[in-house]
Amino acid sequence: MKWLGRKHELAGDGHQLASTELFRDLGARELRIVDAFVQERSFLAGEVIFDEGEEGQALYVVASGKVAICLPGRFETPLAELTPGSFFGELGLLDDSPRSAQARALEPVTLIVLSRSDFERLMESHARIASRIALQLARHIGRRLRQMVAASPIGKSLS
Amino acid sequence: MTASGLPYRAGPLVWAANIGATCVVLFLFQKILWLVVPFILALIIYYVLMPLKLQLLLRGVSHDRAAAWVSLLAFGVFLAGAVLAFPAFFGEAIAWQDSAMRYLGGGIRLLAGAMSDLEQRFGFIAQSSAREMLELQLGGFFEHFAEKYLPGLAMGIVAWSPSLMLAPFLAFFMLRDGWRFRRFLLRAVPNAYFERSLYVMDEVDRTARQYFVGLLQLTLLDTVCLAAGLWAIGISGALTLGLVTAVLAWVPYIGSIIGCLLVVLVAATDFPGQPGVAYAAIALFLFVRLLDDFVFMPLTVGKSLKMHPLLTVLMIFVGGAVAGVPGLMLVLPVLGVIMVIGETLGLLLTDTRLRARHVHAKALAERQLTHDLRLD
Repeated sequence: MKWLGRKHELAGDGHQLASTELFRDLGARELRIVDAFVQERSFLAGEVIFDEGEEGQALYVVASGKVAICLPGRFETPLAELTPGSFFGELGLLDDSPRSAQARALEPVTLIVLSRSDFERLMESHARIASRIALQLARHIGRRLRQMVAASPIGKSLS
Repeated sequence: MTASGLPYRAGPLVWAANIGATCVVLFLFQKILWLVVPFILALIIYYVLMPLKLQLLLRGVSHDRAAAWVSLLAFGVFLAGAVLAFPAFFGEAIAWQDSAMRYLGGGIRLLAGAMSDLEQRFGFIAQSSAREMLELQLGGFFEHFAEKYLPGLAMGIVAWSPSLMLAPFLAFFMLRDGWRFRRFLLRAVPNAYFERSLYVMDEVDRTARQYFVGLLQLTLLDTVCLAAGLWAIGISGALTLGLVTAVLAWVPYIGSIIGCLLVVLVAATDFPGQPGVAYAAIALFLFVRLLDDFVFMPLTVGKSLKMHPLLTVLMIFVGGAVAGVPGLMLVLPVLGVIMVIGETLGLLLTDTRLRARHVHAKALAERQLTHDLRLD
């Protein structure tokens, strides 16, 4: 049915992006710039967004719904559950590595998608946006690292 | 990347399909050439202006306004150029026929001189009276050139003008709505194939952009090299001649031959009785062509088309056989784009995991739509 029509489109003023973790440091004008490059995508509950081992072509921001990051076959429970405002899929874009886990919609999800080419274009051409996105990415990866260390046997013994 | 985790490589079947599809597309293009030519011109304009639009987008200007501003700027530059150049252009138009005949006469004299030289060296050529026959045939050709070919040429220009005027309009709409069209296409793609589709669209865009921008860079490099060489030899109108010859080289092989002839005609006319200058011009032309094929081409157009050189040459001949001169010109960009699409289709058709994900998503959608219809 997708060939016959469309349901909705982004508002175009970047207000949806303002509440997200990755773009929250950007000003209104910068959000409008980013908004010109992103698009929306909807997934049903249980639908796979991307698989482990795939070549990453986009970064996703959760606009609504819940997304699980999992490693099926190795871990029964999801590694993380992402709620509106959080983002995922950035690692494949940063180091050109295959996707390290599977992303699956836990409930009907709307995602804001920034493609690899647009992500790279923004990072290369707009120093201000690039530095703010890079800072958020660094914070995000740092937080994830701390959580991993805390969950490891060494981290537990230290605490 | 495939389901097995290994990078995908197109097999012989995909390659055969790519080459077959290229031939079909070229054949169809030949039938709608009146639309294809302005479309390609529009693509060139689009790729030249796109960086400007992107700069405006990155300064917070909306897509529509950025496209309008860039188009207005391009139109202004064109208009200013036309206002400055057209009076001189039409002023000299009357003298063109005389100049053309003068240069053709110079060429015939060079040819006759070369034949006469050969006749003196080799008796069998003198006996075959090749020079007289050549002079007779060329004389007849140029005597009736104006009445035979000029009306057809004028009619061709008149017939093509409205079609060529489509190019700026197409370019404007590509700039304004290209991103909407991309989103529209992506919306139609099922979720399972979404990321692959993103990749295909980016690769097609990259291939086409690098090809057309590369072609313009190649033309500039050729123009500069030829103009510098011709100026050093002392031939008049070196820059114009270099530019015309570089543009003619857009048509593989045939364009280069015509370009070389043009250079020889001018050299022979500017320096009558000095065949050495014409030979120097030929040597320069061959040197620039070699430079073009082995240095400039890999640096510009070659970057867009990661093809084996043998396949490139073979496909140029195939393109010429299928669609004539347009086929010669279009075969490489068309093959480049079809290769990207073909390889991705090959990957999608052989990737069972992606197909399974698509089937799973369809089942989920159906279950969601029919859950209140079931009686159990």
